[in-house]
Order: sequence, then C-alpha cells, then structure tokens
Amino acid sequence: MGRFDYVARRLLKSVAILLAIVVMNFLLIRMAPGDPASVIAGEAGAADAKYIAQLREQFGLDQPLTTQLALYVGGVVQFDLGFSYRNQRTVASMVGERLPATLLLTVTAFVLAIGIGVGLGVLAATRVGTWADSLVTVAALGFYATPLFWVGLMAILLFSVNLGWLPAFGMQTLGSQMTAGERAVDVARHLVLPATTLAVFFVAIYARLTRASMLEVQDMDFVRTARAKGLAPARILRAHTLRNAILPVITFAGIQAGQLVGGSIVVETVFAWPGIGRLAFEALLQRDYNLLLGVFFLTSVMVIAFNLITDLVYSMVDPRIEVGA
Amino acid sequence: MRDFWQRYRRNKGAVVGLGLLIFVVLVAIAAPIIFPASPWEMAGAPFQRPFGEYPLGTDMLGRNVLSGIVHGARVSLMVGIISTIVAVALGLTFGALAGYFGGIVDDALMRFTEFFQTIPSFVFAIVLVAIFRPTIYSIVAAIAVVSWPPVARLVRGEFLSLRRREFVQAAVVIGESHLKIILTQILPNALSPVIVMASLMIASAILLESALSFLGLGDPNMMSWGYMIGASRSVIRNAWWMSTFPGIAILVTVLALNLVGEGLSDAMNPRLARKGRA
Amino acid sequence: MTEPLLSVRGLTIDLPPGSDRPHAVENIDFDLHANEILCLVGESGSGKSLTAAAVMGLLPQPSVKPSAGELTFEGRNLLSLSEGEWRQLRGRRLGMIFQEPMTALNPVMRVSDQILEVLQAHGEAGGMGRVMELLNAVNLPDPERLRAAYPHHLSGGQRQRVMIAMALALRPTILIADEPTTALDVTTQAQILALIRQLQSERQMGVLFITHDFGVVAEIADKVAVMQHGRIVELGSKHQVLEAPRHEYTKRLIAAVPTLDPPDRRPLDRAPTVLSVKGLGKTYKTAGGLFRPKRIVDAAKNVTLSIRKGETLGLVGESGSGKTTVGRCIIRLIDSDKGRIDFHGVDLNAFKGSALKPYRKRVQMIFQDPFASLNPRHKVGDIIAAGPIAFGTPPADAMKRAQDLLQLVDLDPVVVDRYPHEFSGGQRQRIGIARALALQPELLIADEPVSALDVSVQAQVLDLLADIKRRLNLSMLFITHDLRVAAQVCDRVAVMYQGEIVEQGSTAELFRHPTHPYTRKLLDAIPGKHWRTRAHA
Repeated sequence: MGRFDYVARRLLKSVAILLAIVVMNFLLIRMAPGDPASVIAGEAGAADAKYIAQLREQFGLDQPLTTQLALYVGGVVQFDLGFSYRNQRTVASMVGERLPATLLLTVTAFVLAIGIGVGLGVLAATRVGTWADSLVTVAALGFYATPLFWVGLMAILLFSVNLGWLPAFGMQTLGSQMTAGERAVDVARHLVLPATTLAVFFVAIYARLTRASMLEVQDMDFVRTARAKGLAPARILRAHTLRNAILPVITFAGIQAGQLVGGSIVVETVFAWPGIGRLAFEALLQRDYNLLLGVFFLTSVMVIAFNLITDLVYSMVDPRIEVGA
Repeated sequence: MRDFWQRYRRNKGAVVGLGLLIFVVLVAIAAPIIFPASPWEMAGAPFQRPFGEYPLGTDMLGRNVLSGIVHGARVSLMVGIISTIVAVALGLTFGALAGYFGGIVDDALMRFTEFFQTIPSFVFAIVLVAIFRPTIYSIVAAIAVVSWPPVARLVRGEFLSLRRREFVQAAVVIGESHLKIILTQILPNALSPVIVMASLMIASAILLESALSFLGLGDPNMMSWGYMIGASRSVIRNAWWMSTFPGIAILVTVLALNLVGEGLSDAMNPRLARKGRA
Repeated sequence: MTEPLLSVRGLTIDLPPGSDRPHAVENIDFDLHANEILCLVGESGSGKSLTAAAVMGLLPQPSVKPSAGELTFEGRNLLSLSEGEWRQLRGRRLGMIFQEPMTALNPVMRVSDQILEVLQAHGEAGGMGRVMELLNAVNLPDPERLRAAYPHHLSGGQRQRVMIAMALALRPTILIADEPTTALDVTTQAQILALIRQLQSERQMGVLFITHDFGVVAEIADKVAVMQHGRIVELGSKHQVLEAPRHEYTKRLIAAVPTLDPPDRRPLDRAPTVLSVKGLGKTYKTAGGLFRPKRIVDAAKNVTLSIRKGETLGLVGESGSGKTTVGRCIIRLIDSDKGRIDFHGVDLNAFKGSALKPYRKRVQMIFQDPFASLNPRHKVGDIIAAGPIAFGTPPADAMKRAQDLLQLVDLDPVVVDRYPHEFSGGQRQRIGIARALALQPELLIADEPVSALDVSVQAQVLDLLADIKRRLNLSMLFITHDLRVAAQVCDRVAVMYQGEIVEQGSTAELFRHPTHPYTRKLLDAIPGKHWRTRAHA
C-alpha cells in the first residue's frame, strides 16, 4: 500500500511538472525578441507581410493568449511538438527518430558511471589514507574539473588520431554490408569513446560521493553494533555499510539525470553521434526554435522518466520510504 | 580568523588551489597589460606550432592562442562570479523565506524550486541563451537561472533546522522582529555552507559558460576558452594545440576553485573535516 | 571467592595528543564475577564508556588506544588478541547493548535478519526458529509479526529488547550494557532494567553496566565502581557505596541526587493568580494527500492549570505527553487551537504578532539544551542585552544591566565579551537564565532546564533557580520528565499523559498519595525509588 501511494504521488508530480514545462515552452517562444510569426517566417525563409498574416492565422496568433495556450497544450498532449520549417518535417518525428541513439549513449554512460564510480568510492573508503585512496581522490578531483567536450576532443586526439584504435565520429561505419552481429560490434566500437567521455565526469562524482558516504556510515552506531556481534569485515561492509551508504548515491543519481542528458548534447556534438543532442546543435546553427524547444521538451521527459525510475529503485531499497515522503 | 587560516592550511590541496586561483585572478586583471592588443586581432601567420615565436602557437586566423587564453580568463571569471552572485541571491531569498515561514510559503516555493531542479539545466540554459540571443547578459542570466535551486534547498534546510533551535526561539520570546531574527540570528549561522557552495558554483558556472560558448552560444564580442576550443575542433587533427591549451586553462581554474571550496568547507566545519579527507 | 570472569588490571587508555588530558582511563582495576552486575558510574567524560569499549575491543582505534594493563578473560589477555580472535569472542562470549536504540540497529535491514546474522556469523544452527525464540525470551509481543518488521516499525523500548535478544543470542558469559536505558522513558526504563535483571540471573551472567544515574545503580547493581577523570575513585558493594560512601567525590555525587521526599512548603493559597490556562487544546495534523490519510495527533487536550504569584508548578510526563507543547503554547511560540491563556486576567490567545510584544517581557523562558540555546556567533553580553534592546533600552544601559545579571547568576561580569563556546554546560545554562531575567519577567517557563546537565551541575543550577525565584518572587512553570527534580523544586505538580493532565495537586500530596493509575505507574517506575527515601522516612 505504502509503495503504491508513493509511486502514484510521484507520477502525479511528474505530470504536473511536464505540464509546467509545456506552459513555459509556450511562454518562451512568445518572449523571444520579435513577433513569433515573423520569427517563424524568418525561419521558413519568406518574410513578406501576406505570409506572416497567413502564419498568424495558422497558429492562432490572432486569438487571445489563453486560447493559444490551450491549443498549444492540446497539441503537445497528442505529441504534436510543432513544425520545423527549416527541415519541412514535424518536430516530433525528428526527435523521435533520434531518441534511440541518445538513449543508447546515456544509459551506457550511466551504467558505466555508477558501476565504476561506486566501485572506486568503496575502494577508496576501505583504504583511507593509502595510495589507492589518494589516486582515486586526485583523479576524481581532476575529472570533476574537466569540461566534457574537452575530454572528448583529447580522447579523439589520443585514441583515434594518434593510436587509431577507435572510430571518432558517428554511430556506425557507413555503406558497408554487415551481418547483424558485425553491425552490433561496429556500433559498440563507435560507442566506446562517447560513452566513456560522458561517463568520466559522473564517475568522478559518484566516486567522491560514495567515498564520503561510506566514511560517514562507517562511523554510525549500527556498524559498531555489527562489530559487537562478531561479524566478519566483508559481511559488515556489504550488508551494513554499503547497503546504507548507497542510499544517497541513488538519490543523487536521480538529481544528476538532467546533467547526464545535458552532457550528452555536448558529447554528441563532439563525436557526431546522431542523437537528439546533435539535433539540438543543428537546431542552434539553424536558429530553429521549434526544433530546439522540441528537444528541450523531450530531454525533460527523459529526465522525469529517469527520476521516476530512481525513485522507484529507492523505494525498493529503503524500507522507511512508506512512512516518510 | 587566525584559527580559520590554521584549519584551512591543514588541507594541502586547498593551499595549492588558492595559489592557482590567485594566479588566474592576477592574469585576468593584468590581461590588458600583458597583451594590450585585442585577442581577436591577427598576430602572425596562421597555424604556427607552439613553443616557437608564439608560446602557445597561433590559430587558423593567425591569432595568438596565449593572448586568447589570458583574455579569456577575464570572461570566465566574470561570468562565473556574477552568475554565482545572482544565483546565490535568488537561492538565499527563496530558501530563507521557505525555511523561516514554513507552511504554505514553503510548499509553494519548494514546488517552484523542484520544477527548476527537474528540468535539464544545461538544455534549459541553451534554450534561454538561444532565444534571447547570446550576449554576456543572457549568458549570465541563463546560468544564474539554472543554478539557484540547490542554493535554495540548502538555505531552506539550514533555516528549517536553525528555526527550531532554541536560541532562535529565545529571540522570539524576548520580542525580536522577524527581520532581525532572520538577519542576526539565523543568517550568520547558515552562511558557511552557502559560502562553500558558492565557491563550487563559480567552478560549475565556468564549466557551463565554456560549454555554451563551445556550442557557439558565447558572446560574439568576447574571447572565451570554450569558444576557442569550439572554433578549432574541426582542425584538431592537424592543430592539436588550439584546443588543448584553452582546455587546460579551464581545468586549472575549475580545479583551483573546487580545491578552495573543499578547504573552506574543512575550515568552516572543523567537526566534519575528519579522517582522510584529501 | 570464585575466579572472576573478567579481571581488569592497570588498564590505561590514551587519548589523542592535544586532548584536555593524556589518558581517558588511567590505571584502573576491577573484577567482574559470574552472576553479578557491576555498575561503572560517573559523569560525562569520566572514561566509563571507553572502559566498556575496551573490554569489547571496540575502541575507536588508532586515535584512542589502550597503552598499559591487562584484561584477563577466560585465561587470555584481551589486549593481545588479533582482530580475528576478537571476532570469535564478540557476540559469542561477550555481548553488548548500547545507549541509542534508535541508531544502534541497521535501518534498512529487518530486525529478525539482524538477529539471525549473529547466529550465522558464529556458525550456529537454529535459523529463524531460534530467532523467534529469542524474540519471545525478551518479551516482545507477537514475534511472528516482528519477522517482517524493520527498526522504524518499533518503539524505543522494543528496539532495545531486540538489541538485548541480539546480544544474548549465543548465551555470552558477559553482557556489557552502555547506558542502555538513558534514551528511554522512565516506565520503559523500568521494564528494560527488570528484563536485564531477569535474564542475568537466569543465565548467571556477569553484567558490566555503565550509567550516570545513581537511581539506576540503586535499582540494579550488585557492585559499584565510581569513576572520575579516568580513575576509579571508589569500588565496593552497592550497599557500601550508596549508604556509606568513603570518597569525597562519591559523597558529593550522591548528595546531589535529589530525593523523592518533597520538602515542606509554605502554602500559597492567598497569593494572587498570575496565570490561568483553561481548556487549552493543540492538534497536529499531517496534511492528507490524495492517497494518504490525514493523521491527527492531540498534543494537548483540554489542559487547565493555574499558577499563583511565587509558585512553581511542575508539569511532568514522559516524552510525547504534550508537556513541552503546553509550555510553548503559553509563551506563544506555537499557537493553540482552543482555550484561554489568562495572564493577570488578560487572554493572551487574543493577541497575535506585535500586539503580543508587551507580554513578551513579562513571560520568559529557560531552555533545555545549553548548547543550542545560545547563538554561537553572539557575545554573551549581547545575548543577555538583546531583550532589553528590543524593548528600547539604550544599548549602553542594557549592557550595564547584563553585567549585573551575570553577577546575579554567579558569573564574572567580565565575560560579556566572550562567546558561548568558551563556557561549560552549567555556565551556559546560567547565561540562559540571565537572558530570561533581563526583561524582569513575572513568570518563567523552564523547559527541562537541567536535564542536559551532569548531576552535580544540575544541583547547582537548581539551587540558583530556587534562590533567584525566592528573591524576585517569581512564578514558574517547570517542565520536566524527572520526578526527583520535580519533587524538590515544585510547590504543585501536574501529571500529563497523552496530551491530558491526569492528576494535579500539591507535590507532597501527589508523591505520597497518587490517585490516578498512570501517576502510580510513573512513581513506581522511578529507578531506585526505595533508596534514600527510607533513610529519611
């Protein structure tokens, strides 16, 4: 009962946030300097008065603002995110076709980041003051301070240009005949550099967080109780320290979801990865606001979905959730 | 104050960070003296390798890379500091009101904060800067708009717990006004974690600004590190230095700020700075 | 005399360099025999808890470590054991329970699994069936339901029972109990003490019982060791130490424990009424959501009480009884939902915000926690002068008065320029009293003003309060959970239970002839209730 309530509340909240984002999108396009019709007309490449008047009517810009808002929200509910005049296609179809590539990249990076980050954090925390701890701490500090796009460029320089080990651009080798298995390997090879680049910053975050959280939990009363029971150190680490230290890491993973998606824009741009991040960059170059807002909406949906998943995971690992929240 | 420095000094990394930061600040201040000419101006032949006539080489338009980095320090620090000041002011106001008054005020402000924390901040910043045209003002505003929510949450948490502390209740009982209690009783005790967070926020604001200008959303009149990397990435195969050195400049500055932030945190919360914090 | 279970000789534990003294524990000797409870008693910082941790091999090494002495247990010196050998002993031969049942259990693991873990770690058979037996043995209700319970489902007392079940799962010969009842309410404390007593005699265990409370010592000890500054200053049978203490420090500590015999007091029936509370009610609601029922808690229900000029009314009860809520409603830190709060005949509930200000100076409050009640960033003089300044007194005059007040509470007036962290708990509480007096109030609300203090300091602060109250003819609402303190301080006492006042009367009458069953239960639960009352009777 408790968990159902919790999830239901979270779902409702997510819907509310999505609605708010839609309203904000609507307001943003109208707050843009200049008349939205002429902005759109400018995008479409024809700015004569007649065309603008036609656009006004087509988009209901002559209607009161509330009616416009209702129309806009109604459209988004049916997944109508507007039209990209530059590309003469609907925004929904454009972002939709780019979604799988971005999901592949972000999910891979996330799994890498959590796995390696938590592992390094535990390693450092259980060896406080040794060279291993210092190495993890210094590396984490360094990568935490490095811009993602630069890491990507340096990785291309080293592994692609100088060593020639891995492809630097795109998601697959074009134009060659390959079996399904070969294609999977090919995509995986293309995935290595962008996914690692995107993960590196988050590895640093999770390693630092896990280390700090482990050190804090190690000093707690129930760990002392576990020692007083005569448990083996490995058992104390797994069942007591790590089990509790992981909780803030999960919470933080939820909070970080937005950063991960944001980071993918930069990484996709660097590696020409054909996802929605790359699409955002193209939209920027073309000043295609409808497309840009479509990307913003879709990335927000991704973040909210990701938050929901982490909340769900959290409610499964922390039995106290049914009382609180 | 002496004690504070004593505790700060115990963190070796923080001392190194402070040294680096002072260096970067001095370079930023002295930029017009070191390189009086505009960094946009052609200085010599394009594509000159580093460690020759120009210490860090020239770019594809023959601009001096070192001059760009030195002038870029001004932009990075300025954007970082101003946007952080704005974000902290926003966060302090919302957080203090929510935490002190609680109830409906708290509910409303926290829903608002949560909304801003949920939307992907970098994408939102891109949208804001793109729609309002890239200028130094829109960049600072966008970074501030996406950075304040953590401050608000932190301040709210501090205020909530301090509000219940007995010395604050004692101030109510002896008849002090809300404003006086907020300003003299609670705020001074809530400030140290905010200062630590602010120093870390300058660092992330610099990263954010560099990413924006890397994507071509920098102020077109200002030389910045992210712009230098973004503009030269297409020639990275034959001119590695153009994107490598500005990146190192970002790394050093951000690292210095993070180290200083940790040092401040250790010095301000002596009880938390326990074993093994590097 | 039989061979002792545990023999401690010359134990010295070092503190890290830069501490206020070199050794936490210095050259102490004691023996623990089978079927015996030895109480290590002392004030905070006496080294008693570190002694217990050393016996269990749980010192926070390497910062604190034993540097000399021997701990002989079953023929071996514990100080020379490897970590692996320690692990064999802990849980199997030595069991331990701790002060905070809230934090001593892993919050994300079922309590049954936490007990099972002990059996598994030591290769013991029995599994869940054995766990259920253990839960039964510590008198936990409905063990079957507890199989799925997490710590947050249990009350403090129930958690401490789980801790005991866990510590005794493998029938250790020694149980170490570090302040096991300090965090519990008095009625729960009585039950846990009885349980420890019962299990100890059933199993013929040796128990090393750490406490600061002489009442608990009187209740449970066979032998007593009194610690001060890391040394054992007196060691003997319970009777000898409690009834005929030899060491000066022991005498002082015991004299500081308030007796349960209320002193005779002059009746105040003629004095005018200062405060009269009628039908006060305060309900807390957690906002209901779409899928969440509203939760309603009556923190105070129809509370009626009155205080005369110069009178001290005690408001006693266990945690959650609503006594603090009532105090805060009266001083208007929280708004009540129902009832009148008449102060000299004027209903304070009729005012809000700044309209209340004139009454602020006439009713003042003394808080519980001497460390949380003073702003760490303000100087002592500013803290005391803030009230008068808020009421328009020129700062120079207010500061002058602050110095006089410091003198009144037995502190040197020159300390106005110091910060609170330079003072001890007792001194801070004096500063808190000076702050309350600065506005020359008629009514003081004291919320557990001495419960955070060591017993010797507690006695001094209570004496000071009594002295000031008499000199200034103040009225006082004294909120406390400690019936010993209430017996000594209050003219009349009101007993609160679940938000209601269940009984009210003169202190002497209420302590001698309680009528309500809860009052009786409460008085019955006071640890060491027969100690010293007999001597006086």
